[in-house]
Amino acid sequence: MNLLRQTLAICAMNFRNLKTRFWPSMVIVAGLGATIGVLLSMMSVTQGIRQVYINSGDQMRSIVVSANADGEGESAITRAEAALIVDAPGIARGPDGKPLADRGLNMGIPVLRKDGSKGYTTMRGYGPMAQKVRPEFHIVAGRMFHFGQREMVAGEGARFLFQNMNIGDDVILPGGPWKIVGIFRAGDITDGQVIGDTETMLTALHRNAYNSILVRLASYNSLDTLKRALTTNPALSVKVERHSDWYNRAAGNNSNFLARLAYAIGAVMAIGALFGCLNTMYSAVGARGREIATLRALGFSAIPVMVSVILEALVLAVGGALIGAGAAWLLYDGKQDFFGTNVFHLTVPPVLVGIGVIWAIVVALLGGLPPSIRAARRPVVDALRAT
Amino acid sequence: MKFLPLIWAAIMRKPVRTGLTLLSVMIAFTLFGITIGMNATFDKVAAGAHDDRIFTNQRFFGTGMPLAQVGQTARIPGIAQVAYLDVLAGYHEIERNRAFALMTSDNYGKMYPDWPITPAQWDMLHKVRDGVLVSRIQAEHWHIKPGDIFTIASTQDKRADGKAWNLKVLAVVPDVAYMTGGFMLGNYEYFNKAQPLGKQDKIGQIVTQVSDPSQTAAIAQQIDTHFANSAIATLSTTEKAALDISNSGLDLAALDRKIALAGMFMVLFLTANGIAQSVRERLAEFATLKTIGFTDKAVVLLVFLEAALPCLLGALLGVGLAAFLSGQLPRLFPPGQGTPPLPTMTAMVFVWAAVCAGAVALISAALPALRLKRMDIATALSGRAT
Repeated sequence: MNLLRQTLAICAMNFRNLKTRFWPSMVIVAGLGATIGVLLSMMSVTQGIRQVYINSGDQMRSIVVSANADGEGESAITRAEAALIVDAPGIARGPDGKPLADRGLNMGIPVLRKDGSKGYTTMRGYGPMAQKVRPEFHIVAGRMFHFGQREMVAGEGARFLFQNMNIGDDVILPGGPWKIVGIFRAGDITDGQVIGDTETMLTALHRNAYNSILVRLASYNSLDTLKRALTTNPALSVKVERHSDWYNRAAGNNSNFLARLAYAIGAVMAIGALFGCLNTMYSAVGARGREIATLRALGFSAIPVMVSVILEALVLAVGGALIGAGAAWLLYDGKQDFFGTNVFHLTVPPVLVGIGVIWAIVVALLGGLPPSIRAARRPVVDALRAT
Repeated sequence: MKFLPLIWAAIMRKPVRTGLTLLSVMIAFTLFGITIGMNATFDKVAAGAHDDRIFTNQRFFGTGMPLAQVGQTARIPGIAQVAYLDVLAGYHEIERNRAFALMTSDNYGKMYPDWPITPAQWDMLHKVRDGVLVSRIQAEHWHIKPGDIFTIASTQDKRADGKAWNLKVLAVVPDVAYMTGGFMLGNYEYFNKAQPLGKQDKIGQIVTQVSDPSQTAAIAQQIDTHFANSAIATLSTTEKAALDISNSGLDLAALDRKIALAGMFMVLFLTANGIAQSVRERLAEFATLKTIGFTDKAVVLLVFLEAALPCLLGALLGVGLAAFLSGQLPRLFPPGQGTPPLPTMTAMVFVWAAVCAGAVALISAALPALRLKRMDIATALSGRAT
């Protein structure tokens, strides 16, 4: 209890005279601000990509692809296989008794970004059941494409980032232009893509296989039923995966490398900030040598002195981290951007800010501890005599 | 020269502070070296791009372009020569070990005289049908040497007899800057004829060289127009545009500059505070110097050099460390999945680091120097100045 009171007294004293050490203190604030600002700015990209993929999955859906395919693009499902798949048990059925299963097409098409650079986005084919399987998909402008016609709808993100993606514009496919007749929003990865009618697209592309079948499950547990039915059928060679698992994996594949890069750069900067913190705290302790010695002579014990030094480093570091996090949030949160073919919103969610604060705490503890030990162990008499 | 002992004494007055400042500056410049070095690599790759070559791929993902499109491309006016390749993509031993080889046409060497591959090596590749030339990065990763057999199993590029591809390593060749994961070059003829009949005569990419480099973009357009209504429409890009980082989806160069800038910001506060503190503590000393005849200019120079020395040294050490780390980076990434471009420490990186270090020192020294210039010598000598 006495220790606590002593600690409080010393800390209060330190913080009251912090303004006399304003600029040295700013070294810690600026160091951590820059570190966490950079870390969170980079993480806003990985977080945005993760989020858009995670939003794309649905626990109540399952995707069926070729047995050896890692992605939809590598998968091919023939019409005959598709007919077997959609009739399998475990798939939810509509009021008319038809299975809620959608034969999908997935393929890259070249686009021109608004900044003039060339890139790719994904073009998808949806069948008549698509909107029942994907209730999150809805038209926000114009209308839905008509099945059997050379029409497409473009995602909001695609319209925002790419040229020629407004209603009335043409998308060029082999065999001629397809008119964009509407803009849709689904809140997931498809928002950066364009969608047309699967069967009409197959004809135009001279192809005869779908890429994947997306089905709505009858219940959460019917995935097992479906999986058993499809993987034991000798006429099929397919892989069945819960749609949310499929996209969680994609989220990792697409963001892990970037996350590692962000952490590596953040770590390098944090080491730089750590040396800055050590420097500041050593000189703070040095400047207050006599003050600390006086306290010790009055009977204050070593631990409150140590705690007060570390606490000061902590407050400054966390303050810096919050400033850096705030800057990253102001600059990037909610901004729509792209990486490769992914269109997504950059995000700085509270959990990232939390990570930033934890980094700052680690840096402050490492940077405050050695100076605090020096402060506590310095012989009182020497310190009192020192000029 | 007479200043040196003075500056040295000032710097070594607080060795802990100087050491920590130096370390912090060094770390910031390591980051600077890696990011700006990365940009130097982008520039080098872009500068190394030949302006007379065009890459033609199929516009829509599919099973490949027919070999016949090579001949048709060659007949478009203004084209000097046409080469082509297909990619053998698969894995080595276990599926996680993605491996690929570029199976090239016989004239590929003539198309790329700028690659570090000798005509004799290209000849060897034509003669030994199942041979491959392996770049250093890949050779190091897979631990292979000339004479070894490297096996690639593939689900999409199957041999007609169902076996895996056993490729003879003919030689290990230097790397090409833009293929950051390294490469393997094989023989297209062999690859083509070993596949089942239905899969034969398909290619992945056509490379075209034009006779007049000023016409490259126009001819790229012409190639696409020519194939626009064929079964396999094409998408042609000039080598210049293909190797320009700003087309890659994320402006990495701008990102790199921002990170480097953040590092400099951090160092600026540190250095500025360090020098301000050092000057504050030694006001009386500076007053003495002025009293014994040092001019304002000389004192300002002293302060600037005291700030600049650790900055420049830290910059040098930091960029040096970045160079060392860049050399270690390739080991961290599996090949075949694309590695990021690795930083190169060109002379420009060192020059920029020095310029930035100088600027940080200059800004840091400005306020303390001003203070010394305006200082009242008598007050300072008496120790009453703060």
